[in-house]
Amino acid sequence: MPDAPAPRHFRRMVAVWFVLSAVTDPLFYFLAGPHIPPGKMTSSANGAQFDFNVLFIIALPVVIAVWVYLGYAIWTWRASRGGPEPVAGPYSRGHLGLQTGWISVSTVIVLGLFVFGTYELVVPAGAGGGEGPNPIWSPASKQILPVQVIAQQWMFTYRYPTYGGFETRNLVLPADTNVAFHVTSLDVIHDFWAYQLGVKADANPGQDDVAYTSTGSQLGRFMVRCDELCGIWHGAMYNTGHIESAAAFQSWATTQEQTLAATTKLLPPFAWTYTPDANGADGGFYPDNRDPYNKVEMYGAQKVTS
Amino acid sequence: MTIDSGRRPAAGEPVGDVGVTRPGPTRRPTSRPAWLGQHLGTAVVGAVAGYAVGHWLGNQIASAYPNTAGASGLNDTAVVLGLAFGVVGWLAGIGALNYPLAKLVGREPVTPEPQQGWMRYFKYSTDHKVVGMQYLVTVLVFFFTAGLLAMAIRTELLTPANHFFGPDIYIAVVGEHGTMMMMMASSAVVGPLGNYLVPLMIGSRRTAFPRVEAASYWFFAAGYLVILTALPLGGFPTGWTGYAPLQTQSAGGMDSYLVGFGVIGIGMILAGFNLAVTIIHFRAPGMTWNRVPVFVWSMLATAALLTLATPTLVAAGLFGVLDRTAQTAFYVTEHGGSQFLWQNLFWFFGHPEVYIMALPGFGIVAEMLPVFTRKPLFGYRVAAAGMLGVALLSFFVWQHHLFQSGINPDMRPLFMLTTELISIPTGFIFLVGLGTLYKARIRMEVPMLFALGMYFNFLIGGVTGVFLSDVPVNVTVHGSFFVMAHFHYTIMGGLIFALFGGIYYWTPKMTGRMLDQKWGKIHFWTMFVFFNLTFFPLFIVGLLGQPRRVFEYAANLQVWNDISSTGAFLLGASFLIFVGNVVWTMVINPRTAPANPWASNGLEWQTPTPVPYFNFERIPVVLNDPYHYGDPEPAPVADLGAGLAMAVAGATADPSTGLDPR
Amino acid sequence: MSAINPAPGIPGLIESPEEAEYELRAAEGSVWTGTRLAIGIVAFAFAGLAFAYFYLRSANNDQSWRPHGVTAPTDIGTSIVALTIAAGALALLGNVRLRRGLRADWQVAGWTVVATGLLVVALQIWELTRLRFFPGSSGYASCFIGWAAMNIALVLGATYWIETLLARGLRLRRALVEEGATPAALSAERLFRANAEGCTLFWGFTAAVAAFFWLLFYIF
Repeated sequence: MPDAPAPRHFRRMVAVWFVLSAVTDPLFYFLAGPHIPPGKMTSSANGAQFDFNVLFIIALPVVIAVWVYLGYAIWTWRASRGGPEPVAGPYSRGHLGLQTGWISVSTVIVLGLFVFGTYELVVPAGAGGGEGPNPIWSPASKQILPVQVIAQQWMFTYRYPTYGGFETRNLVLPADTNVAFHVTSLDVIHDFWAYQLGVKADANPGQDDVAYTSTGSQLGRFMVRCDELCGIWHGAMYNTGHIESAAAFQSWATTQEQTLAATTKLLPPFAWTYTPDANGADGGFYPDNRDPYNKVEMYGAQKVTS
Repeated sequence: MTIDSGRRPAAGEPVGDVGVTRPGPTRRPTSRPAWLGQHLGTAVVGAVAGYAVGHWLGNQIASAYPNTAGASGLNDTAVVLGLAFGVVGWLAGIGALNYPLAKLVGREPVTPEPQQGWMRYFKYSTDHKVVGMQYLVTVLVFFFTAGLLAMAIRTELLTPANHFFGPDIYIAVVGEHGTMMMMMASSAVVGPLGNYLVPLMIGSRRTAFPRVEAASYWFFAAGYLVILTALPLGGFPTGWTGYAPLQTQSAGGMDSYLVGFGVIGIGMILAGFNLAVTIIHFRAPGMTWNRVPVFVWSMLATAALLTLATPTLVAAGLFGVLDRTAQTAFYVTEHGGSQFLWQNLFWFFGHPEVYIMALPGFGIVAEMLPVFTRKPLFGYRVAAAGMLGVALLSFFVWQHHLFQSGINPDMRPLFMLTTELISIPTGFIFLVGLGTLYKARIRMEVPMLFALGMYFNFLIGGVTGVFLSDVPVNVTVHGSFFVMAHFHYTIMGGLIFALFGGIYYWTPKMTGRMLDQKWGKIHFWTMFVFFNLTFFPLFIVGLLGQPRRVFEYAANLQVWNDISSTGAFLLGASFLIFVGNVVWTMVINPRTAPANPWASNGLEWQTPTPVPYFNFERIPVVLNDPYHYGDPEPAPVADLGAGLAMAVAGATADPSTGLDPR
Repeated sequence: MSAINPAPGIPGLIESPEEAEYELRAAEGSVWTGTRLAIGIVAFAFAGLAFAYFYLRSANNDQSWRPHGVTAPTDIGTSIVALTIAAGALALLGNVRLRRGLRADWQVAGWTVVATGLLVVALQIWELTRLRFFPGSSGYASCFIGWAAMNIALVLGATYWIETLLARGLRLRRALVEEGATPAALSAERLFRANAEGCTLFWGFTAAVAAFFWLLFYIF
């Protein structure tokens, strides 16, 4: 703009933007950052919180830049109310440097976010997300407590295969332990969302969906909710879990194993999936064993052994 | 797909292809009352009759089948056939099938003469302006119906554990709201503004396939009725995403969902098809790709998505219908199907669909900004490239909806990359907008307010989208109210704000009457404030752990939910201002609008108001793009009396040659 | 068309020959692009089916993709694909004749294509009654039912297109005989030719789809 020597709009905007960003970013990080959900209960929760904060710190200046610009533009270049109808603004159709700069900066930010996001996904073993039956990112440690999450309309139950496979509606986890959730469903798609643990994995019928996290020293309750619409009582499908000390967990689990032994015997043997096929969950879907729809007989389907 | 010349013969003109002068059939006397013949009333009769026939037929065919419809006690085959025949009856009733059938015996198109008066809006019309107005009214009806459902949802969420609705009603309302809004939004701009304005903007007298265009509207309207039937059929509990196996399990309302999406999908394909071909071939001489208005670019990108992404949805819906009626097992894992198949097919459509709902908004605001800043559009090519870039990339991001679903964990980084990449071309739209504002002469008229509001909202929606694309953060926010708030910011805050801006901007052209500007400003400010009041708290609610589509939530979230609900009711009320404004200025106290109230250079404003049947008396010859605001050597946009240059254009099929592209 | 074409709606609007030519070219181009876009639309719909096929095949959930190698009746299926390809080839051949001006040849070829198309639809429906598997018995069975439904729609659509063209061709010839080669008749003829080209391409595409899915359902 050769004919605009007076106010250096761009400089002013950058200055306002810089000050605002420099103030709000640390304010956010130090005041709000530590309280951002899902908290610090587990490694994956911690990672999610950290990632959220990093993204927020990058996003905030971007948002502020646009807002400052919009505000400044409206404030400065607004045609005066009641004044003469403006005829024309400057005839500028583009600015090569500005366009190139914008595209470069946004590309750099995006690629940076991609690298950061991938690192934060791969290194903490899938960041608490469901990785399907064959997880490609898993914790280095071999000491992993497997917990099976069985979703059905409309509740969660849990089985502990390392404790005789007893089934309970209480989710109890030991502190300072690597946990592998094996999430599956008996009917439709649900989603196991252990909110404070930063764990979320879809519960698919016939599929074992594995999600890893590791608990820290923090004990206490956490919320479990179904996060995939699963029918009319979806909204009521939640319960509460606990993280207890390793010793308390050990005693709870062994007690449960013994108390529930009789019930456990009646359950289908522990398996990674339980979806009933045409022959029923365990070969006997129909009480009189006269299966009107027997795939093995009708079509020669191979019996599935899970 | 049959092609006709589309020249609409009218009173006094012999009926024939491109003026083949043949004695037409005996024309009806012009004094014939308008309510005779085929119109909305006969369409409704046809739909009801078709439903009855189809329902009877379905029961004949499938009465021996196990009754899969569960509690509603209906046979799925009967419901599906009833709805399908109902749509056919609807099309037959309105007259959409007359020509396609007559064509089988080689008949000429018998198009009714161009009608005047309000009755033409209730008929099968091949005039793109009438179709545009039909779309506009239907879109608004669609939007307000679904908006009432949204307020019902917010009523239920006023309290954590006290219920206004039973869970079955609530979930039906949630699904109905989502599905109706998605259906409406996919045609919200393409239908009304795209059909009405694109031919005017590119200097054409018609669209390429007027009958296809008309059919697209009647499919769209039929889709509205079909999806409404879900409520009496017991609703569907799957939300708008319709995930199997819940889909396979659900009652009769699910059939309405599948058939409804199929019908709307066909309408979307037809609308996009017609629009894309029109833009490619019916540009006036001199309307080079460098001069095409940026709104037309956005329509082209949208049309590409409509035509290529929607067929996948139609196929997926067909599979779902087959699962529920013919007892196939596409989505039944235990029988060799897969529940992931639906998710993949649905989102392969579903993500381009999201941009079908974003790009038109970009187009509208980019079109309005130069007018209200009195400056050329900043970085015109960047804008066009941004829209095409978004359209292209949108085919490669669908699995980001499945980050936590347990499929393909190894693909997550890739889809994170593509999703984040799409923010680059989206950023172009912001670059264009901000650049245009630089040193502008900003007139804060109502359309401009909506355009700026759109930038404000879409910024929040876009930035939160980047949060969602980051897989570790997605673990927390996926499926929560955070997502819900995010896409309401992009669709409601982006598309709907742009649409209302567009309505305020173009109604003087479309209706010849001006909406009241003072009340328009009040409408904008109430809508803007209450929109943010409704949806911003939902980001917080989502982060604090409230999943979508629940009727119970943690007690500590009640404050935020109540703020949101209050905002929602006030937001609903703000639309009463709009409705009142429309009724007052269009019906009760009509005020003739100035010919070009915003002093726009756009070609569409150079036509007389009301726009004549053939739009342009002479095919215009375009000399410049419409953004020459502030040009020290202003040049006319088009030569409207174009006898001279017509000869040049007549010598070549390519409108760009022979004229200086500048 | 006489140079003066009374344009309705606007009293006194007269379309110049250049304008008529311009719009005619646009309409011709629309047919060209529209054909390709229509092929794209149908291709994406069938891509959905192909995706379902490969997805379910590779997943083989519950070992039920294709238990015991069940196959739809191969003789009927092969007849269907042979007839579809023959129809496509015939449409092509007819169009080559049409380009040389041999209109009667094109009519004969075209009506044969119509008959073949209807036969294909009939066979496809008959095949559905001869299946040795229940629709829900396997992934293969489901995909096959989906294919049958979509193929019926596709072949019916293609047959409809060529049938309307043939009927229009007859009518145009009658007009030419009765009124001579007026400019109006010539422009109608040009549009008709553009349509015939598009329709031929669409039939070729239909044949390609049939061949592709024949390979999937009967061979592999």
